[in-house]
Amino acid sequence: MALPLSYSWRSMLARGMRTVFTVAVIALVVVATTLFWSLIASLKRTLISSGSPDNLVVMRKGATNDGSSQLALEAYQAIRFFEGIAKDPQGNPLVSPELVVQPFFHTNAGMRENVLVRGVEPQALTVHDEVKIREGRMFTPSSGEAVVGRIVSERYQGAKLGDQLRFGNRDWKVVGILDSGGSSFESEVWVDARELANNAKRPLPYSGFRIRVADGADMDALARRIGDDQRWALEATPEVDYYRNLSKTANTLYIIVAGLAVLAGIGAMFGATNTMYAAVQARTSEIGTLRALGFSRGSILIAFLAESLMTALFAFAIGALLSWLLAMGISAAMGGIGFAAQTFTTNVVVLRVEPQDLIIPLVLSVLIGVLGGFFPASAAARLRPVDALRKA
Amino acid sequence: MKYLPLVLRNLGRNPLRSLLTGAAIMLAIALVCILRTMPAGLDAILKSAAANTRISTHNEAGIVYSMPYSYLAKVRGVPGVVAAISWNWFGGTTDLSKGVQFPNFAVDPDGFGEVYADWKLDPQVFEDFRKYRDAAIVGHATLEKMGWKVGDVVTLESTVFPVTLSFRIVGASPAQNGSFYFQREYLAQALAAAGIQFDTTGMIWSRVDDPEKLGSAMRQIDEMFHNSEAVTSTETESSFVGNFFGGLKQLVTIIQIVAALVTLCIVFIAANTASMSIRERVGEIAILKAIGFRKQTIFTTLLAEAGILALFAGIAGSGTAYVLTKLLQQYASNAGPQMGPLTAFIVSGTILVQAIFIAFFIGILAGWVPALGASRRSVAQTLREVF
Amino acid sequence: MIDIVNVSRLYKRGADEIHALERVNLHVARGRFVALMGPSGSGKSTLLNVLAGLDRPNSGDVTVAGKHLNDLTEDELAEFRAHTVGFVFQFFNLIPVLSAVENVELPLLLTKLSRAERRTRGLTALRVVGLGERADHLPRQLSGGEQQRVAIARAIVTDAELIVADEPTGDLDAKNAEEILSLLQTLKRDFGKTIVIVTHDPRAEKWVDEVIHLDKGLLLETRPGGAARGAAGG
Repeated sequence: MALPLSYSWRSMLARGMRTVFTVAVIALVVVATTLFWSLIASLKRTLISSGSPDNLVVMRKGATNDGSSQLALEAYQAIRFFEGIAKDPQGNPLVSPELVVQPFFHTNAGMRENVLVRGVEPQALTVHDEVKIREGRMFTPSSGEAVVGRIVSERYQGAKLGDQLRFGNRDWKVVGILDSGGSSFESEVWVDARELANNAKRPLPYSGFRIRVADGADMDALARRIGDDQRWALEATPEVDYYRNLSKTANTLYIIVAGLAVLAGIGAMFGATNTMYAAVQARTSEIGTLRALGFSRGSILIAFLAESLMTALFAFAIGALLSWLLAMGISAAMGGIGFAAQTFTTNVVVLRVEPQDLIIPLVLSVLIGVLGGFFPASAAARLRPVDALRKA
Repeated sequence: MKYLPLVLRNLGRNPLRSLLTGAAIMLAIALVCILRTMPAGLDAILKSAAANTRISTHNEAGIVYSMPYSYLAKVRGVPGVVAAISWNWFGGTTDLSKGVQFPNFAVDPDGFGEVYADWKLDPQVFEDFRKYRDAAIVGHATLEKMGWKVGDVVTLESTVFPVTLSFRIVGASPAQNGSFYFQREYLAQALAAAGIQFDTTGMIWSRVDDPEKLGSAMRQIDEMFHNSEAVTSTETESSFVGNFFGGLKQLVTIIQIVAALVTLCIVFIAANTASMSIRERVGEIAILKAIGFRKQTIFTTLLAEAGILALFAGIAGSGTAYVLTKLLQQYASNAGPQMGPLTAFIVSGTILVQAIFIAFFIGILAGWVPALGASRRSVAQTLREVF
Repeated sequence: MIDIVNVSRLYKRGADEIHALERVNLHVARGRFVALMGPSGSGKSTLLNVLAGLDRPNSGDVTVAGKHLNDLTEDELAEFRAHTVGFVFQFFNLIPVLSAVENVELPLLLTKLSRAERRTRGLTALRVVGLGERADHLPRQLSGGEQQRVAIARAIVTDAELIVADEPTGDLDAKNAEEILSLLQTLKRDFGKTIVIVTHDPRAEKWVDEVIHLDKGLLLETRPGGAARGAAGG
């Protein structure tokens, strides 16, 4: 027969101090792991959510991001009439030529950061259909106006709707706030491409083009045609892949965090094992009685494993709650967290613990509970009733 | 310390428990060490920048905005400025598909040696740099990363200019960022051949001879260009570097929070073991008191147990951290730019030694209450309860 | 040697008040072997604790070996015990991680003797109790009786004048119990120690000079024990 779960649960509660300490250790490990994991995951989420599956990114061959690419006007004029490119109702090709510049901005906290300023033509909003003007309106070309991403308006000085935003040694009037569903565009500022080129004194007016592929057209064929064109050294990548590649470097960070989490987890596991061994020792006579009453070895093993697992899961629940609260507190206190991006700008990430971020910490907790409790549970199961009762 | 044998034997009383506790603390200390090496990488850069009198001048709008090259001559004329050179980002790479793997710049060879006198290089290196048009001085870190050595000839294709250039490496620099420097004139000639004008610069670095003159020199430079089309902003190198990596401060805060959580963990691990092992010995401790051992002695020996266990665990943890950071350094060099120098995982003797002290201190802290309680228990009462 | 005058001791156990000793008077001359006997809860252990300087009475005077224990601070009592009293308990006598001779040497850590001197004394004491060859054995390698003998060795290693033992034969079989009691008697006879034991064991009567009966905290009667009768030739 099996021991009821309540035996494990009540035993866990009985040895108060010991359980509290063990729960605290595991909970802290869960919090530490969750915070780090969420941080990287939030970064990835921001990057991966950027990009539309119908778009291509065209840059100079060899550029890894549109912050370091430079393209000529002639290239734009040639490419925009390629077959396979979507057109707007008026028949104009949906090609958005863009210029990326990274001026200094100052955060509300006084830090100096490079922000991605994207010089665009009006069709940019159509090509980047995930980007919407949430408040205010799009800028009027050649009017010294700018629209800023949601995060930019919250993070930098002079970036609120209606403010005069200073960068590039001049003022720009903020006339709209951009929203893009949490993607990296919310960390950008959009202005008129020509004004920006003038301001930054760029010899070549554009960094890259974003192209909307026509419905039913072959995206790969179009990309190949652009890449093969002998006149310009261009390369076209699906926009989704472009952002995914930018986010790839975060993978190494994931692995580093995972490694650190394993380290912490093993430490916590040793702590849990310690506690379980003490539990077995303290309840030796009790185990003897249970065995004498007829409970099998297996049921003792499972009962102790269950107790260890329950402790770990209980700790996980506390840790998860604490991480969620801590993340909110950190976000409230520090605002977004800035990561240096390949584009030589700042990816601002809002630290948030999402449910899927808790999967790894949960797995870690279960491992701590099961592996930590295994040997003590086996030791308990191996006790002979006679010895156990005599020891009492 | 005639009680030391007793303390050590008591740790051996339940070897499994001592081992598990020691191992848990060891791993936690290793983790704390590794976490602390992350901000240390940043501090190292900031410290080396703070040590010299170089100042940087750039367009106030940002480093990606250029300044007229003619500014350089004017900066050289400012009182206090001993030497000045300009930097232009070349964005060169050996393999287009890999992107730019290290910073590389076109600079002025005249004055380069003076501006970077703190590198303490053989003057011949700077001479060669001036003499040979295609000479290059490369940072140690980059030489290692790319498998190059002084004397090699390497080729870089620019991702910014439509040119590809070959260079001869004439020297290695100790600069933290491993930058690759070559002659501006070399680039200018290649661009002229392609019909492109080259009369701007990205940054100007100057050396000021007298620290007292730093402030006035910086002010003068900015005033000179105040009404020009490219307004400048001049700051010391340490200010520049501090601003450059300023954003990382937030990440450092989070890392510190996590490190604190892990440290707290250690307290609980140690306290748990201390309270368990002391509670089991209540009867024995009573008898020691009966025999005549005073409260103080009992307290000290019990505390010493926790402290010594934690100390040994701390030493093992520091050792583990040392090995792991070496591994991380290898692996994390591909970690991408997101965390910059934070993933350099530079472990220093200070961090390792501090970790050992932290461990010991935590052991004492954790053992304090159980030890105190046990030492104070009334002997008669204990005997009554136990017997 | 021991003068207990009008001593009372009461303590609380939860909500209850236990009157462990009620105005007890006791005098034990130097060199006597005395047994405190009585049923459970009679206060015999409490009386032992009081005269050994382990517990303070609520009222009354305690004078042992010329020292008025009431006046002493806790640290002074510890010192008193270290020099004057040797202890043997029923359980937990020995520290499991120390060898026999190391256990015996324990009280000597409180003195200024060197390591070598401590070792010499320890071995000597062990030889007195007949366990000279088991010096390096751990307690778990010794039988119950042997463990008690080691405890006795420890009790005499500082040359304490007074030896107190709480149920020294409680856990032992007949043969071992006899050995222990005989050993204690030898200590009194050959070394002049004053010995007070607390015991249930009726066998103890024939070894002691005096039997003191207690019940419910009151001293009921004092009778001569077997040894005294033996000495008197009766």
